[in-house]
Amino acid sequence: MIDVNAFLFSVLVFSLIMNLGISLYGIFWRPSLVKKIIALTILGDTANVLAIVVGYRAWIAPNRPPIPPVLTTWKPTAADLSKFSSLAVDPLPQALVLTAVVIGLAVTVFLVFLTIQVYRLHGTTDVRKIAKLKG
Amino acid sequence: MRRAYKYAVLTAMIVSTLALALAASAGGLGYALPFPAVRNLAYWYLRTTYNPFMPKFTASAPEAVTAIVWDYRGLDTLFETSVFFLAIIASMALMRGIEVRAPESINLSKYGMSAIVKTVTRITVAIILAASASIALHGQLTPGGGFQGGATAAVAPLVIIVIFSLYFAVGSGIKKKSMLTLRTLGLLGIGVTSFAVIVAGLILGKAAYVFQNQPKEAAPIGLPSHILGVPMGGTLLLFNIFEFLAVAAGFTIVFLLLSVPEESVRKVLEGGEGHD
Repeated sequence: MIDVNAFLFSVLVFSLIMNLGISLYGIFWRPSLVKKIIALTILGDTANVLAIVVGYRAWIAPNRPPIPPVLTTWKPTAADLSKFSSLAVDPLPQALVLTAVVIGLAVTVFLVFLTIQVYRLHGTTDVRKIAKLKG
Repeated sequence: MRRAYKYAVLTAMIVSTLALALAASAGGLGYALPFPAVRNLAYWYLRTTYNPFMPKFTASAPEAVTAIVWDYRGLDTLFETSVFFLAIIASMALMRGIEVRAPESINLSKYGMSAIVKTVTRITVAIILAASASIALHGQLTPGGGFQGGATAAVAPLVIIVIFSLYFAVGSGIKKKSMLTLRTLGLLGIGVTSFAVIVAGLILGKAAYVFQNQPKEAAPIGLPSHILGVPMGGTLLLFNIFEFLAVAAGFTIVFLLLSVPEESVRKVLEGGEGHD
């Protein structure tokens, strides 16, 4: 018997993997540098979402969803702490993704500068023409 | 023909996604996909991130993500920051020789959008800066931190450039040099903070580690975890403030460079940049 929730979650995971495939197509086959950058940002964002999804955990009971990894009491008791660690999602992928988003933005900006300068100097963003340039 | 081919590829992708999902949810991977529990490592992080009963292990920040970013895996984040630094430096090197400068005797009111938009922007910029400061300074208590706060704050100069014009931004102090100084200060602060506890340990004659935050078993020294009863997370607050400065100023530099008018850039490029 197939669980509907598990099926929907699997659809999410596999559509993210398909999205990775589409963005790789964009990076490898589209000749324009601008489209390559767009595909690269899609690749990065999909990888980030995939990392977050990996850190997700199943609901313990139908009325007990997982909580964010933030403790809301400043004077926790032992019961608070065990409830927190039994309900919260994995914080590690979130920590990696939060830096990856900002670094990805900085690297994208660098690639945009590179593309702009190539366009200004040679008047094209087509990699097939750029590869034939001399000097 | 080409259209039919496109639809065939699209249909094949959707059908294979659904088929793979069906196989996975029927037990094809050997386990159900939303994992029933987090891994032991994540359990340890959640257990120790703010735990007054384990004072030798806690990072003393109720927000587990910030605790991981700057305490458990602080070195990772230090090198991420250096990647950020290099990406910005590389962008600036590509645009070398291009000055971000307003022409002399310029009538600023001629530039930009209408008075309504400008007034709304004046209010919005204040709100953006307040929200970003709150995100960065409450990083150890609520979701947020230096990276997110800095990226939010960088929106303010971008909005100013778009609504008021680049010349207004440069005239009101958002200059490449001052932003570079601010960003260097932020990076310097991150470097100093990572050595703060070891320097305190040298002065007090106690052992300490680089990137240490709270007291550990063999290194009984650390920055204060609470100030006036509010969890401060020791070094986490300082790291968040400095990273906020570095990220906000770094992105402001690239936004300034991206919005330099095309004619003046072309003048520099055609004037034989790099040949002298």
